[in-house]
Amino acid sequence: MNTKTNDKFNAKTQMNEGVCTVFLSGELDLSVAPDFRLVMEPLVGNSEVDLIVNMKDMTYIDSTGIGILLSILKARHGMEARFAVEEVPPQIQKLFDMTGIAKFFQS
Amino acid sequence: MNSDVQRITLNLPASAEYVDIVRLNLYGIASKMGFSYEEIEDMKVAVSEACNNSVLYAYSQEGGMVEVLFQVAGESLSITVRDEGESFDSVGAVGDRTLHDKDLSEVQIGGLGFYLMEALMDEVSVTNQAGKGTEVTLTKRLARSEEPV
Repeated sequence: MNTKTNDKFNAKTQMNEGVCTVFLSGELDLSVAPDFRLVMEPLVGNSEVDLIVNMKDMTYIDSTGIGILLSILKARHGMEARFAVEEVPPQIQKLFDMTGIAKFFQS
Repeated sequence: MNSDVQRITLNLPASAEYVDIVRLNLYGIASKMGFSYEEIEDMKVAVSEACNNSVLYAYSQEGGMVEVLFQVAGESLSITVRDEGESFDSVGAVGDRTLHDKDLSEVQIGGLGFYLMEALMDEVSVTNQAGKGTEVTLTKRLARSEEPV
């Protein structure tokens, strides 16, 4: 499942052996936050699969995106289901570390 | 030494889709000034956070504008994000807005934007007058190439 073709932001979902990986690319800012939520919503509620967000092609994130990741973390935690991020670019990891969200991603 | 301040102003709709244009202009100005890649990435987030606040909270109806003023001084860049809106997402009580000492159940979403502005810039000032708008000024100084002995 893809979001609409958009130079700014894209999300591609891949399901493989009980793991659902969402590959994000581009900038996750306020303008595309609703698109990101739309992609994640049906996946978050599925406790049968592990949920992973791959960020290797992401070029930007701010508190908008971090807030959405946080609400996903809270929801998955409540369901006792796994949520992780992988291949996080250094600048984005820096923001995760600064805000303290990084500790919630340690599996 | 030239101590003049050069001013560059953007006027744009208070709409989420245009905040990336502010980042593009910031990139152009800051790289011309000699800021490092990491400093520019930091500033992009900070200025976007300020713009996001105007987009989200300033105006109850569409059509509001945001002014972004870049002031290029010899040793620093100041960015002022100004709106003329009626409301403002108040920073609220001083307290820890990060997630460091909290459990997931205690975490409230919101407030990270202000924290990031302050953490990523050298100076942040916020002026808010009820009914007259909000002005957020973010300043980053150019790092000196020689370290003091």
